[in-house]
Amino acid sequence: MRGGHSPFRPRPRRSWRAPGELLNFALIFVCLVFLVLSRIGHSLTDVSDSFLDLSAPVLQATSAPVVMARHGVARVKSYVGSFNEIDRLREENAKLKQWEWRAKLAERKVVQLRALLNAADEPALHFATGNVIADGRGPFLQSALINLGRDHGIRIGYAVINGEGLIGRTVDAGDQFARVLLINDRSSRVPVLAGKAGVRGIASGDNSAELTLDFIPDGAVLHEGDDVYTSGSDGVLPRGLRVGLVTGSPGAYKVRPHADLGALDTVSVLFFDTPELVRTDPPAVPPDRALSASPADPKGPDTIPTASTDQPKETGSIKQADTSVAGPAANVVQTQQ
Amino acid sequence: MNPGVPAVSVFLAVLATAVPWGLPADATFAPPLIVMTMIFCWRALPGTVFPSYLALLLGLLTDMLSGGPLGFWAMMALIAANAGGRAPSPGDAQARNRLWLFWGCVAASIGLLAWLLGSLYVVQFIDAWPIAFGVGVSILLFPVVLRGVAWIKRGRLKAGIYRGFT
Repeated sequence: MRGGHSPFRPRPRRSWRAPGELLNFALIFVCLVFLVLSRIGHSLTDVSDSFLDLSAPVLQATSAPVVMARHGVARVKSYVGSFNEIDRLREENAKLKQWEWRAKLAERKVVQLRALLNAADEPALHFATGNVIADGRGPFLQSALINLGRDHGIRIGYAVINGEGLIGRTVDAGDQFARVLLINDRSSRVPVLAGKAGVRGIASGDNSAELTLDFIPDGAVLHEGDDVYTSGSDGVLPRGLRVGLVTGSPGAYKVRPHADLGALDTVSVLFFDTPELVRTDPPAVPPDRALSASPADPKGPDTIPTASTDQPKETGSIKQADTSVAGPAANVVQTQQ
Repeated sequence: MNPGVPAVSVFLAVLATAVPWGLPADATFAPPLIVMTMIFCWRALPGTVFPSYLALLLGLLTDMLSGGPLGFWAMMALIAANAGGRAPSPGDAQARNRLWLFWGCVAASIGLLAWLLGSLYVVQFIDAWPIAFGVGVSILLFPVVLRGVAWIKRGRLKAGIYRGFT
């Protein structure tokens, strides 16, 4: 200790001070009130969203050095194991060339069959890419903040993916940021198809690293390592996004997500709106001859808002998507921010 | 001592809890508990001012950044601050060990309360392992945090920043 300025110098004991103690009790009571308001979803708790919107640039600046450091560490690790990695990649590349040929054949066959069946094309999807600026994982919520918001066309409920697969969906959206509820959150439920047979189920999060595969039909046979992808049956997530692989045993199947939810960096938000049905049938009686006058709509029926037609406000360079993220059925033609 | 220095140091620590460190799922409880350790240390060090309302505000900030319910970490911060105010003074090495033991009891209580409150909030027992892990990490890192806080209090950080600018 320099110059006798020890920070550990004993201090005089304080006696009980009524105003201070009362203040403490009052503050704890305030916390309890906040907790109750948060539980019932009071609008007062929306203040935190506004605050996060304001603090997004600070969070982004704070997280930038850490993200750079993580990239640096990953690069050093890749250099260390580069020789083994090159051997492994050569072997994998040889296998993938065979798969590429098979895939091209299959793709050609699918196109021919679709033409024969006169099958409707699935709507193309646009996406915006951003970065995770804050980690919001805790006992209540498994989430992440991303630097994309309503100004970039983000809305609540959009699917969020990274290079490995589905990571979650947006649950809050400010002007410049959005909160992504990760698929392993306790409240996350993703309708999925699993295995070659496409067994239907629900991948439920429980705040752990793996998801639970619930509501699979009796007698369904799944094997460890079977692919799991979104079924799209909820109308919220597009069909065919890769989720993970089946693990566990019959009766207690789990899904190990492809994406490393603890180390998220660059993510993409898919502009997929819930399909909406509108009446497109012509009226049985023309409006001018109807008994009750109805307001005329000069524009006619609305077009069905699909992801392909719903452009984000601010568009960046258009880029062909890495379709390996999407599963077998997704048709992803996307926009990169 | 001006409460500005403790407030700024804890504020920076709260910001650090939101940074995407790439921690495993089991370690998500550790960073906020280290913030609680800092608050406790600031209150336990003699001659420092760290008012309860400041603990409340910084706890609310932790809640906002974590996306959890408002009031959860604020309550934990208040408990840590109050416990720090009642802790034995860290005069010598033996007293510091006593303080460490005291923090162990406080951290365990905070962990238990967090688990109970969290389970009550989601009306379901939440996984206790991440909380236990976080409590363990905060107890293990207590001497480091105490040294760091004492170092800031002695003005070394300010002097270092000043040297950096001149």
